[in-house]
Amino acid sequence: MLRHTMLFLGYELGNLRRNPAWPLLGIMQPILYLLLFAPLLTKLTPGGTLSEALIVFTPAALVMIALFGSMFTGFGMINETRNGVLERLAVSQAWRPSIVLGRVAKDMIMLVLQSLLILGVASLMGLRISLAAMGLMLLLMAVTGLFAANLSYGLALSIRDENGMSQIVQFFLLPLMLLSGLMLPISLGPDWMQTAAKFNPLYYAVEAGRALFAGDFSSGTIPTAFALFLVLGVLTLTWSVRSLRKLAG
Amino acid sequence: MIIEAQGLRKTFTARRGRGKTEEVEAVRGIDLSVGEGEIFAALGPNGAGKTTTVRMLATFTLPTAGTARVAGHDVVTEAAKVRERIGYVSQAGGVDDNAPGLESLVLAARLAGASRRDALARAGELLETFSLTEVANRPARTLSGGQKRRFALAIGLVNRPPLVFLDEPTTGLDPQNRANLWEEIRALRDAGTSVLLTTHYLDEADALCDRLVIIDHGLIVAEGTPGGLKKEIAGDVVTLRTGDPAAARELLAAQPYIAETRLEGEVLRAYLDDGEHSLPALLRALEAGGVSIDSISLDRATLDDVFLKHTGRSLRDAA
Repeated sequence: MLRHTMLFLGYELGNLRRNPAWPLLGIMQPILYLLLFAPLLTKLTPGGTLSEALIVFTPAALVMIALFGSMFTGFGMINETRNGVLERLAVSQAWRPSIVLGRVAKDMIMLVLQSLLILGVASLMGLRISLAAMGLMLLLMAVTGLFAANLSYGLALSIRDENGMSQIVQFFLLPLMLLSGLMLPISLGPDWMQTAAKFNPLYYAVEAGRALFAGDFSSGTIPTAFALFLVLGVLTLTWSVRSLRKLAG
Repeated sequence: MIIEAQGLRKTFTARRGRGKTEEVEAVRGIDLSVGEGEIFAALGPNGAGKTTTVRMLATFTLPTAGTARVAGHDVVTEAAKVRERIGYVSQAGGVDDNAPGLESLVLAARLAGASRRDALARAGELLETFSLTEVANRPARTLSGGQKRRFALAIGLVNRPPLVFLDEPTTGLDPQNRANLWEEIRALRDAGTSVLLTTHYLDEADALCDRLVIIDHGLIVAEGTPGGLKKEIAGDVVTLRTGDPAAARELLAAQPYIAETRLEGEVLRAYLDDGEHSLPALLRALEAGGVSIDSISLDRATLDDVFLKHTGRSLRDAA
């Protein structure tokens, strides 16, 4: 089981190594936000400095790659439902869940690497956080990726159509982003928005990230976010593996 | 018997919008037995249920009813054991376009249990067999159709299966590549591998397989060797276009040397043995009967004539 997952992971990482340009392009958007949006937040922080603004905004930039990167990772799999790759793997000796898990593991690793690059840019701009906060943040990104990538593969396997999938992902992306307090903390908003945000898993990722970056390790949002994404990750994985079975009709 | 199937059926529930569903009977009860070391073909038009049948035998699709044992194991209850013993090459091929073919080959070998070293050795062997060594490290999307098809075949053989399923193996290939692939399939049989292939090409079934079934609308309509099936109908066929096909048919059916006549639209086919010798008599009979001939040809009967006999239509029109 683990062996097959590792084999798929190795294969996917090989593909990534041969084409490293796309994931690098994927972090351009969050980096632009860091450079051109984070400074706008300076006046909203108590001290009025950029490094304080970065503590608020960098976690959001990281969640953004999970949203705009991992949520789209399933597109590659739509093609595999047609070109016979999944059909072949389904009747090979491969342990079925490993077909999805290996790919998800690749997405998690990619997300952590992208996060490291973004953290590097943020620290050049003046972000100062502890190593513990950074480590936990990267772990948090990994479990966020577990959920987002599984969700994306599940969608890809159930919809099996690029146009339909891009419409659905776009449809959910904007409300998920706005209601997670990604751009501005949701606590600035009215009560109903704060209530609505509680139904958005990404809200917890952003909140937990901000607590970590502020050094507030005792914040309840941190274990909540980890637990939430692990549970959602397992649920979405189950869903995508079941969808794989449905390919056969 | 490497494949034994009884009463295989598959009914799909297709969505037709707004909660409406429609039952589609893709396969309606198929019995099959394929012997070890045989090249066995399922011939039929597109949509006849060939792919669904193969997918059920290869453990991809669950049968709605019926049972099948493949390589000694039940396809439903012992699917994992069946998967160890088969190779499956789908119509789409299943070669990852983004990676070099070698990578797909090595991954497939390792999933089948080989160590990295053994996988590389096996991949090397297969690349050699299918003349792919030189393109092994090129991304598969840059390969020609024939090369990609050979990679698909190589991947299907990576675990040295005693049985391979080839779904429409030569569709989309040019004649040269087709002939090469036929050679490779024959070489498989000569090495002791059993092959079940589907095709809608008459000449392919005729030239390649030891035995075949003709499938139409989810049912087997004929089974036998290519030669045996053709023997059921007379050896030659005269194809006629005349001003009055009905009259010509009546006239020819009365001739002692005509075994059978079939009228398909404007085209009349008369089956007979020893056509070269009977043709002058046939021409005289038509002339005496006052039937004017627009065109006439004499051919050996083909599997298409077998198909026509059993389904009432020509395979060329059936798709």
